[in-house]
Amino acid sequence: MSLSRFLIKRSLQGLFVIWGVITVVFGLRFISPGDPANVLLPPDVDPEVRAQVIAELGLNEPLYVQYWEFISGIPFGDLGLSLVTRTPVASRVVTKLPATLELAIAATIVAVIIAIPLGVVSATRRHEPADYGATVFSLVGISTPNFWLGVMLILVLAVQLNLFPTSQRPIGIDGILLLVLDGDLGAAADGLGTWLWHITLPAITLGTYFTALITRLTRSGMLDQLGRTYVRASRAKGLPETLVRYKHVLRNTLIPVITVIGLQLGTLIGGAVITEAVFAWPGLGTLIINSINARDWPVLQGSLIVVAVGFVLVNILVDALYAYVNPQVAYD
Amino acid sequence: MTDSNSHIGRRSYLKLAGGAAASAALAGCTGGGDEEETTTAAEETTTETGGEETTTSTPEESTEPFNVTITQGQMPSGLDPQDHRETPTDIVVLHAYDGVLTRDATGAMQTALATNYERIEGENAVRFDIREGVTFHNGEELTPEDVAFSINRVVDEDVSFASPQSDQLAGVASAEVIEGENAVKVNNSSLNPIVFSEFATYLDVMQQSWVEGNSKAFISQNMNGTGPFKLDSYTEDEEVVLSRYEDYWKEPAAVETLTFRAASEASTRVNQLLQGETDVIVNVPPQEVQRVNNNENTRVAAAPSTRIIYNAMRYDVEPFDSVKFRQAMNYAIDLESIVQNVLGGFGAQTSQPTLPEFVGHNEDLDPYPYDPEMAEQLVEESGYAGAEIELNTPVGRYLKDLEISQAVAGYIDELPNVSASVRQRDFGSLVDELLAGSIEERPHWFLIGWGEATFDGGLVMTALLSSEGLLTTWQNEEFDSLLEQAGNQSGDERDATLQEANTLAHEECPWIFLNQQFSVYGVNDSIAWEARSDERIDAYDMSLK
Repeated sequence: MSLSRFLIKRSLQGLFVIWGVITVVFGLRFISPGDPANVLLPPDVDPEVRAQVIAELGLNEPLYVQYWEFISGIPFGDLGLSLVTRTPVASRVVTKLPATLELAIAATIVAVIIAIPLGVVSATRRHEPADYGATVFSLVGISTPNFWLGVMLILVLAVQLNLFPTSQRPIGIDGILLLVLDGDLGAAADGLGTWLWHITLPAITLGTYFTALITRLTRSGMLDQLGRTYVRASRAKGLPETLVRYKHVLRNTLIPVITVIGLQLGTLIGGAVITEAVFAWPGLGTLIINSINARDWPVLQGSLIVVAVGFVLVNILVDALYAYVNPQVAYD
Repeated sequence: MTDSNSHIGRRSYLKLAGGAAASAALAGCTGGGDEEETTTAAEETTTETGGEETTTSTPEESTEPFNVTITQGQMPSGLDPQDHRETPTDIVVLHAYDGVLTRDATGAMQTALATNYERIEGENAVRFDIREGVTFHNGEELTPEDVAFSINRVVDEDVSFASPQSDQLAGVASAEVIEGENAVKVNNSSLNPIVFSEFATYLDVMQQSWVEGNSKAFISQNMNGTGPFKLDSYTEDEEVVLSRYEDYWKEPAAVETLTFRAASEASTRVNQLLQGETDVIVNVPPQEVQRVNNNENTRVAAAPSTRIIYNAMRYDVEPFDSVKFRQAMNYAIDLESIVQNVLGGFGAQTSQPTLPEFVGHNEDLDPYPYDPEMAEQLVEESGYAGAEIELNTPVGRYLKDLEISQAVAGYIDELPNVSASVRQRDFGSLVDELLAGSIEERPHWFLIGWGEATFDGGLVMTALLSSEGLLTTWQNEEFDSLLEQAGNQSGDERDATLQEANTLAHEECPWIFLNQQFSVYGVNDSIAWEARSDERIDAYDMSLK
C-alpha cells in the first residue's frame, strides 16, 4: 500500500473514531445528572420564559434533531457558544490549546532527556546498582499520582527552597514569538527565561510517569537488541562497544520508543487536566475543569472533541512515521 | 470580543446564559471563618424618611502606592455588571462600577452615587438624589438619566436585554428622571419594603450612551463605570488588571494596580500566598489555616457570611410530620461540637432561619441545646420510635458539607430509637429535586445552604419556608400569614413581625438548625484589610500597613 493510500485509509478510520467521540460526548449530557434547564436558568424564573428558552435551545426537540444540530456545525468549526461567557467555544478552546500543547511537549522533552540515557545505562549495566536504581526510579515514577507529585514539588522546590514559582503562566511560547516578530529580542529572551522558570515544575509533574515508562521501554528494548546476532557479529568484527551500543543497538531500540512517545503525547494533552489545576496553568485542562464546575456543557463538549481530534491526528502521524522510519513495517 | 449568533434568539439566549450560574443563592462556596472574629450586626436602615449622606471609610493616607493581586477560585464570566449571577464576577466588576447605595464591611447600608434616598409619600415609589460631579472612566459626567437607564436595563428586558439580575430588584417596576431635578424616581409594583436594601446590594450604574453605543460583546469585555478602579486589560479566563481611577468621586484608592487571577485548587492559592505571588486569596480551607497563620508574612481574615446551612425536613411525610420528632432531631445533635470540631470554629450556630446580621433576626432565640435524653423522649412521644431516616447531602458544595451531614446523622443514629444514615448526592440532581414544582417531589431530609446578600430575613423565609417558597418543605398557615403581613410593613414594624415568624420556625422546627458559613481569606500581612460579611473583597478599603 502506498503512503497516500495508507493516509486516506487511516484518515477515514480516524473520522469514524471522531464521529464516535462526538456521539458519546453528545450523549454524556443526557446521562449526566441534572436538568440543563435548571443549570441554565435562575430557579425562580418565570415558567413562560423557562419554556421559551427550552424551546429556543431546542431542548424540547426529539433527540435526533438535537443531535443533528450539534453535529452539523462541527465540520465548520462551530462548537456553539459558551453558556457562561457566551463567547464562541471554538475560539475559547483554541486560545487555551497553546498552553496545553507547550506543557505536553515540555513534559515529553523532560521525559526523553531523562529516560533514554537512564534506560541505556540500566540495560548496559544490567543487575548492577545503576540498573537497580533506574528500576526503582521507574517503579516510583509509574506509581506516583500526578496531583501528589505536583503538590510535593511545589511545597519543596517552590515554597521551602524558593527555586521555582508555585504556579501561573505569565507568558507562553506564543507571546514569546510575538516579541521576536516585533524585534524585541531582549524582552523575548526575558520571556523565555520566565517561561522556563514557570514550566519546569508542571513539566516534571506531567512528565514523570512518562519518564518512567520510556525508561522501562528503552531498557527492555536495549536488552532485546543486545541479544541479537548482529550485535555479536559487530563485536566479532572488532567494532568499538560504544559504536555497537549507540549507533546500532540504541537506534533500533528507539523505533518503538518513538512510537510510544508520539502516542503518549496525545495522552498527555488529555491528561494535563490535573497538572494544570494544581499549577493554575491556563490550558485546556483548566478549561475542562472550570466548564465542569460551571456546568458549561458546550465548552466541555468542545474541549473533549478537540482533545479527541488531536489524539487521532497524532496517532495517524505516528503510524505514518513509524512505517516511514522502519521500512520493514508495511502500510497496511 | 466577538459574539456569534446561533439559532437561539438573542434575548432569550442572554437570559439563559445569564442564568448559567443557576441559583446564586444555592450555589455554595467553601469558606470558613475565624472563631475569634466578632460578628457585627448590620444596621438595616430601610427608613421611610430617607437616609442622610454618610461618610464611608476612606483608605489611609499613604505616600507609597502599592499593587495588589487577588486570587479567586474562578475568573469572571464577563465584565458586564448587569449580566451575571456569580460572586467572583461581582467582586471584580464592583471595583469599576458603583451603585446608588452600598454597604460597608459589616453590611450596614451607606449612600454612594445617591446622596439621599426616601420614599415618596402617597405613592409606591422612592426617590434617589444623584450625586453631582461624578465622572465615568471615559471622563463624562454621571447624569440621573444614566441611573434611570441602568435600573431599567435590569428590570425591563425591552430596554437592552433580559438581565439575569431582574429578580434582584424584585418589586421595582421602572425608573425615571424627576423633571428639572438631579434625582431619579423608582416606581415599585407595591410597597416593596426592602427596596433600599435591594439597591444597597444590587444595581451597578452604567453610562447610557456608552452602553447604547457599544455592542453587547464589547460591554462584556470592557468596563466604564464610576468606581475607584478602571480597566487596564482583560485576558479571558486568565487575568483582569485594573488601575486606580484618579478622578474618583471620593479619595483615590491607595492601591495603584489591582490584578485578579484565579486558581481552582485551594492548596495552589495558599501556596501562591505563602510565596508572595498573590496578596489576597479566597476560601482558605480549615486545614490550611494554620499554615497561613504560621507563615511570617500572611494571616487569615474571616467573617460570617450571609449563607445559612440547614437540614430541611419535609413536614408531610413520616416521621417528619411530627413537630416533636423534628424538635427531637434538633436536641439530638451537638451543634457546638460540630462547629468547633468539624468546622474548626469557622462557623456560628444558628437557632432560626434568619442570621444575626439580617433584618428580622430574633436575638431572644438560642440554638437548641444538646440533650439526647430529651431527644429520645420526644421521639417516643412522637410515636415514631424505631424510625429509619436518610439524610441527602451534597459533597464539596459547602464548607465541610459531607462531614457536617455525617456528624448530624451520627448523633441521631446514637439515639436508641432512631436509625440515621447519609446518602451522598450529586449537587445537580439534588437541586433538580429541590426545584421540583411541589413539596411532594423533594427529598424527605436534606442538607442545603442558602445565601441572601440583601441581609433580609423575610426573603430567606419566603424562599425556604413559606408554602409557595422556592425550596420549601413546610406549610404553616400562621407562618404564611406572618410573612404576608411583613410584606405590607416596613421598618421596625416589619422587623417585629419577622422576629415573630422566626420564633414560630424555631418552635416548629421545619429544619435542623445548623451553622452560618464563614468566609475565610488569606491576606498578606503588609495589607490592612478586613473581611466583609457579604463576600465582597473591596480593594478600595485596602491600605499599606
